[in-house]
Amino acid sequence: MSGTLTIFKKELKGFYLNPTFWVICFLISVIFSWVYPIQLNLFSQLLMNYVMQQGVPQNQLNIHYGVFLRQLSYLNLLLIFVVPALTMKLFAEEKKLRTFDLLLTSPVTSLQIVLGKYFAALGAVAGIVLLALLYPVATATMATINWAPLLIAFFGIFLVGAVYAAMDLFSSSLTENSIAAYVTSVMFNVSIWFIGIGAEVVDSERGRKIFEHVSLNSHLSGLVEGAVRSNGLIFFFSIIVLFCFLAERVVESSRWRSV
Amino acid sequence: MIQVRDLTKDYGSRRAINKLNFSISKGDVVGFLGPNGAGKSTTMKIITGFMAPSHGSASVAGFDVFESPLEVKKRIGYLPETPPVYGDMYVRDYLRYVAALKQVPKDKIEKSVDMAIEKTNLGEVQKRLIQHLSKGFKQRVGIAQAIVSDPEVLILDEPTVGLDPKQVAEIRDLIKSLKGQHTIILSTHILPEVEATCEKVIIINKGEIVAEDSIHNLATMEKGQSRLHIRVRKEVEDMKSLLSDIQQVLSVHLGPSHKEWNVDVQGGDEVVDAISSRLVTKGYGLLELSPSKVDLEDVFLKLTYGKQQGGEL
Repeated sequence: MSGTLTIFKKELKGFYLNPTFWVICFLISVIFSWVYPIQLNLFSQLLMNYVMQQGVPQNQLNIHYGVFLRQLSYLNLLLIFVVPALTMKLFAEEKKLRTFDLLLTSPVTSLQIVLGKYFAALGAVAGIVLLALLYPVATATMATINWAPLLIAFFGIFLVGAVYAAMDLFSSSLTENSIAAYVTSVMFNVSIWFIGIGAEVVDSERGRKIFEHVSLNSHLSGLVEGAVRSNGLIFFFSIIVLFCFLAERVVESSRWRSV
Repeated sequence: MIQVRDLTKDYGSRRAINKLNFSISKGDVVGFLGPNGAGKSTTMKIITGFMAPSHGSASVAGFDVFESPLEVKKRIGYLPETPPVYGDMYVRDYLRYVAALKQVPKDKIEKSVDMAIEKTNLGEVQKRLIQHLSKGFKQRVGIAQAIVSDPEVLILDEPTVGLDPKQVAEIRDLIKSLKGQHTIILSTHILPEVEATCEKVIIINKGEIVAEDSIHNLATMEKGQSRLHIRVRKEVEDMKSLLSDIQQVLSVHLGPSHKEWNVDVQGGDEVVDAISSRLVTKGYGLLELSPSKVDLEDVFLKLTYGKQQGGEL
């Protein structure tokens, strides 16, 4: 396991000591600093006038739904494009710069290589999620906040980020071209949201249930409402394991593939 | 130390190496010689455990590279054709990382890094980013990463390619200084490099070993044979027929002009005497007749290209 730790430390340093990561963080905070106060403002206006307004859904009067969940959906949108930017270099660049040779001739297994890099990517995703969490934390100075559902919701979005990271790590392992890795990763991230749509077109009850179960959306919606369900956790975890396993196979294949 | 048995590697339908057999004992410095595309890098990559052979086996220090790759990799330092360096890391940090990756014990990492930096003369650049270093320094960082874990076996794939003459000389000195502590395999197609650093040579061509011997034996392989360089004042149209009745003459080659010839002969002084008197009596005006030893370059060319050209060399 020491191999995993060595690679993890090196890659994590690579993320946090690299200007790219901080530029990304800066841009994300620019977007949130623009959108979040507007949401907050809209929410306070809604509260002031709610007596006069008819037909406002009850849950919109809750700051959790009215502000935080909107911020989370923006964060999700950003992660779809940002996580690939972070992970694309993990394997593609190593292959291109031939530093991959060093890893493959070092006494580490393919699994250790993949895990080291995956955990480092999680570290970077966690950084971005924490950055987004600063906004609700700042809001806590002026409003009473129910922390448990808020943290669970952010944990949910972190898990989604972890799923992206696993898929994007896999697509980075497929190529030595960073741009190609980026584009495939975005495709992966976007398409996982579209799988659930199948539930609306199949007729059979069984088929609909299957689609609902493999839909990221249905599992995330539980978490953002503050409910931790084991089937959701298992679902996220299985996708992560699946793609880490696939990436491991790709790394291992370079030992016997005739390229 | 290194045992290679029937090693074969196919890239699709193309066979890169075909049933290689050789063994290298501890402490040897072996030159792995061959033209481009002969299968040198492929063989080295298999020995390092980087990729698996199609058939056959290789073992390092008694461990099979396929059965127990981790044990083999612990004992090997490998410099690929392109030094595997991260441009965005500092030299010292990079070497620390490699040392940790190669499972150097934590308390010995700093010491090993110091040792590698000292041996490769990287002291003045150790706090610089690798991407800002010149090619020669990058290559040295590459060598430093190969020796940082003090491996038993050192595999260097074309370590001096693309360097200027001074850097080449430095790297050769470095390799010489590493002799004795490590078993070294050095692949190259530059012959003086092998002559300068290695004791033993394995010549490989089209995936097969064509010679495996010490440099001394190879250079004097054809016993009693020597080459005469002849320069005359008048042009000689056909040297071959001129010397045809001297039996010891093996072959005749035209030099840059019809005034310069190289003649391969068998035997000693009497044949030199015979040729010189023939040229003098025919009135060609003998200006120079000097014997030259068959050197490694000739052996190499003969073994790798000679067959295709019908023994023209």
